[in-house]
Amino acid sequence: MNEQQDILERARQAGQPFKAPEGYFESFEDRLMARISAEAQPAASTSRRLWTVLKPALALAATFAIIFGMGYGVLFLTHTLDRGKADVSGYATVEEELIRPVSIINYYQSEGESEEEGDIDEDSIVSFLASELSYGDLTEIYAQSF
Amino acid sequence: MNDKEILKIYREGGREQAFRLLVQSYKERLYWHIRRMVLDHDDADDCLQNTFIKVWQSLDRFRGDAQLYTWLYRIATNESITFLTQQQRRGEQTGIAAAERLSSDAWFDGDQVQAALHKSIAKLPPKQKAVFNLRYFEEMPYEEISRVLETSEGALKASYHHAYEKVKGWMKEEIDAKY
Repeated sequence: MNEQQDILERARQAGQPFKAPEGYFESFEDRLMARISAEAQPAASTSRRLWTVLKPALALAATFAIIFGMGYGVLFLTHTLDRGKADVSGYATVEEELIRPVSIINYYQSEGESEEEGDIDEDSIVSFLASELSYGDLTEIYAQSF
Repeated sequence: MNDKEILKIYREGGREQAFRLLVQSYKERLYWHIRRMVLDHDDADDCLQNTFIKVWQSLDRFRGDAQLYTWLYRIATNESITFLTQQQRRGEQTGIAAAERLSSDAWFDGDQVQAALHKSIAKLPPKQKAVFNLRYFEEMPYEEISRVLETSEGALKASYHHAYEKVKGWMKEEIDAKY
């Protein structure tokens, strides 16, 4: 064992150089339990304080959320109904502007074709002429046929 | 009263009674261990209280697979290391200022060699200081230190050896400068 190790050993064997204040260990337990109780109470009151502070803000946020939700619902329903109406009028326009003239043109173009003559019955022709042609046109057609 | 009896009281519903018995059994041993780590009495008192508060808060989670003694030493050592690390972050050299004050400390009555020893130990990094103290002062077996610090025995032996050599060198410098 060299000289420095002897010093280290001597320092260890000299015993405890630190001291604690008189009565420190006797009173430690009571101080500790007092601190535990003190720390437990503010924790509870802190959470209560936090709730008290946050409550009005949360209520305001909830009110905004409800108003926004209701407004959005009304707008959504209104928009859906308007779109439904537009679709219906759209179909009517197509029927009036496109289907009917095309049907008439097709009818006149296919007038001379023998294949389609057999497919159209007499009632359909009468009904079509009555709805699409004026009284003058009908008189003229009638005069030409005899 | 031993650890098993204290734990039995705890499991039978006597939480506060078991805690008080645990404090009575370990307060002095843990205090001296912490005091050698942080040196100042007031700092040691704070760390010891924090240690027992953590024990109180986590007693329900103590699984019992480790010894109560090992578990308490682990909490106390971690509390001391945290304290020294915070000192370091504040720009203070860990424990060196406290070590410099030892000679005038009312709660220190060691001789020059003991003062030189603690001044030298104060220069070690916090975890190495814990290894050195547990082995040198408490003569704790490496196996036990390994459980307290959750480090392998091989690493602890190497750490202690390096710490011992450093402390020896610093002590020599300290003593040579005085005499």
